[in-house]
Amino acid sequence: MIVKKRIEFFFDPKSVAVVGASEAPGKLSSVIIDSLLSSGFSGRVVPVNPKYSSVKGLKCFPSVSEIDNGVDLAVYALPSALTPKALRDSEGNTKGAIIVSGGFGETGEAGKALEREIKEIAKGTGIRVIGPNCMGIYDAVSRLDTFFIPRTRIARPRLGGLSIISQSGSFAITAMDELAGEGVGVARVVSYGNKADVNEADCLRFLAEDKHTKAVAVYIEAVDDGRNFIEAASLCASKKPVFAIKVGKRGAGALSALSHTGAIAGNYEAYRAAFRKSGVIELDGYEEFIAACKAFGSGSEAKGPRVVIITDGGGMGVSIADECIEAGLEVPPLSEDLKDRVRDGLPSYFSINNPIDLTGSVTDEMYADALEKTLSDDSFDIAIVAALWGPPGLTDELPALISERALAIKKPVLVCSPGGAFTRSKAELFRRSGFPVFQTPEAAVKAASILSRTSLSRRGG
Amino acid sequence: MDKQAIERLVIDAQSLGRKTLPEPDAKEILRLSGVPVPRSHVAKDLSGAAEMAAKIGYPLVLKVVSPDIVHKSDVGGVALGIRNAKELEDKWAEMVLSVADESATSMIEGFLIEEMAPKGAEVIIGAVRDEQFGPLIMFGTGGVTVELMKDVSFRLGPLSKKEAIGMMTEVKGFALLTGYRGDTFKDIEAVAEIILLVSNIMEEVDALKELEINPLFVYERGVMAVDARAVLK
Repeated sequence: MIVKKRIEFFFDPKSVAVVGASEAPGKLSSVIIDSLLSSGFSGRVVPVNPKYSSVKGLKCFPSVSEIDNGVDLAVYALPSALTPKALRDSEGNTKGAIIVSGGFGETGEAGKALEREIKEIAKGTGIRVIGPNCMGIYDAVSRLDTFFIPRTRIARPRLGGLSIISQSGSFAITAMDELAGEGVGVARVVSYGNKADVNEADCLRFLAEDKHTKAVAVYIEAVDDGRNFIEAASLCASKKPVFAIKVGKRGAGALSALSHTGAIAGNYEAYRAAFRKSGVIELDGYEEFIAACKAFGSGSEAKGPRVVIITDGGGMGVSIADECIEAGLEVPPLSEDLKDRVRDGLPSYFSINNPIDLTGSVTDEMYADALEKTLSDDSFDIAIVAALWGPPGLTDELPALISERALAIKKPVLVCSPGGAFTRSKAELFRRSGFPVFQTPEAAVKAASILSRTSLSRRGG
Repeated sequence: MDKQAIERLVIDAQSLGRKTLPEPDAKEILRLSGVPVPRSHVAKDLSGAAEMAAKIGYPLVLKVVSPDIVHKSDVGGVALGIRNAKELEDKWAEMVLSVADESATSMIEGFLIEEMAPKGAEVIIGAVRDEQFGPLIMFGTGGVTVELMKDVSFRLGPLSKKEAIGMMTEVKGFALLTGYRGDTFKDIEAVAEIILLVSNIMEEVDALKELEINPLFVYERGVMAVDARAVLK
């Protein structure tokens, strides 16, 4: 049996063939070649199609086997029926394959047979295969981009520390697009589709060791080998935060109801328990998934559940505090000593408590000062800054000033910025300064709660 | 744990084409694994029952034994607190009629004569074998309302003691074991031990698909598996 190669090479290929290359606008292969040529990807791009001698100004080869010196990676955008032969013909001339085409196991018996064939070829040739029925890889480090939706429709996030692996391609690109808009950076995004060969466990093992990846977001429909998943997820979660969403939760009790346990324990309970055993944070729904990506995308981890809330609007502060308590977070009062330090230099009528209400008399400097003093204190793990833009003392310098003063503390700062058009334009300034920005107290607290769960999940139990 | 004896019992059941084990067999698996169960015998007829009752001593419990009856109390198949031979005779007659009425097509293998365990706090400990992840262990507040209340927690096996304790502290009903409203503090260590044993049985005996103790009576000192069921693959 061939020992399966590790999958690192997928993320930094020196050469990529696009099989089924075409110039026809809108064709998957056309979008992929355009992406590779315009994304800043520095490797060689090699079109493959027996019908053409050149595609988009590049020399086109009739098959992968005829490319001199071979390639690291071949992307197959062919009708499913033609794919097994094309893959087999690539033996020895590519290390990896990404099959973006659909028409395999997801479609019926004929498709299932084709997928089995792909599996066999992967096993027999040692070519590692991502897909079929997937988008492949968007890599902000190497700029590899096989996602076949043009950038004009789906924006690509900047470079950052978050990696995403997803069974669903549409989920991955929707999240990517949204994160790009939120200013959240990513390292690797993998859409692995039907996982004929490379599966979530392979990806998790790679990301565990990947120095560009600081946190991992996982979207799962179903895992085939549960214990292998737990092993890989445990390894990854022991090194960095891993959080996951599992969809298709409410499949009716897959088990016969001969015992009470069987009647209660659906398959989702097993997934929850698997996440728990691996130290993976379970997320509930798309909203939490995005909140978690934003929270972890900023790169700092929470050591515990204690939140300091700083605002210039008392009502919003209390509303955030209520949400925190509801979510199981703590909003402890400031110690007398800390209160004195924060109060120093502030007007006497400010309410220095938790939440800290800096009132309509607030200035940029007061915000930065209060945040720096409280968050650097040992009694807090997370700060939520709810800057309401009414006070005249607040200027466009606020986000950068806060960022400058809070950065060295290395604790998460979440910005809650509810409001209309003016506020939204200011929220953009916070994003540019690297802060995750949330529209509502609920969303901000959700993110804080997820951050605090990392510290919990790593303690086990 | 006597794995060989358990496997023999399972193979015998499989050779009879059984999907579920009757209560005495499920309890025998537990006993062979080190889980405390009440003393009991299966009787085929009333005179046999009376003889065994004398050996075990009153008060005792009478239960129908049938692989076809999942919820015995629903068909009048459980009689508690039988104090003497006369009551045994009455309850026996009552149960035969009731079961025949409520569950006419069920095969009756006999009746279980069992030591009446003193009342304790009730918890449920169960396990199912998940296709992807293997044994999934459940702990919860026990009794017949478990499916209604769903005050339960889950972990995947094999379990550590820390995980077993975590399962207990996670459910609301944990308060019932720790002196709720002036009640006594129960033997939590012993419960954790049983959770680990159930996990262990599922790891060792691959033919078991589901295993459940409901209720497990929990005392200030020790525990007792009062009812149990097992489902084969």
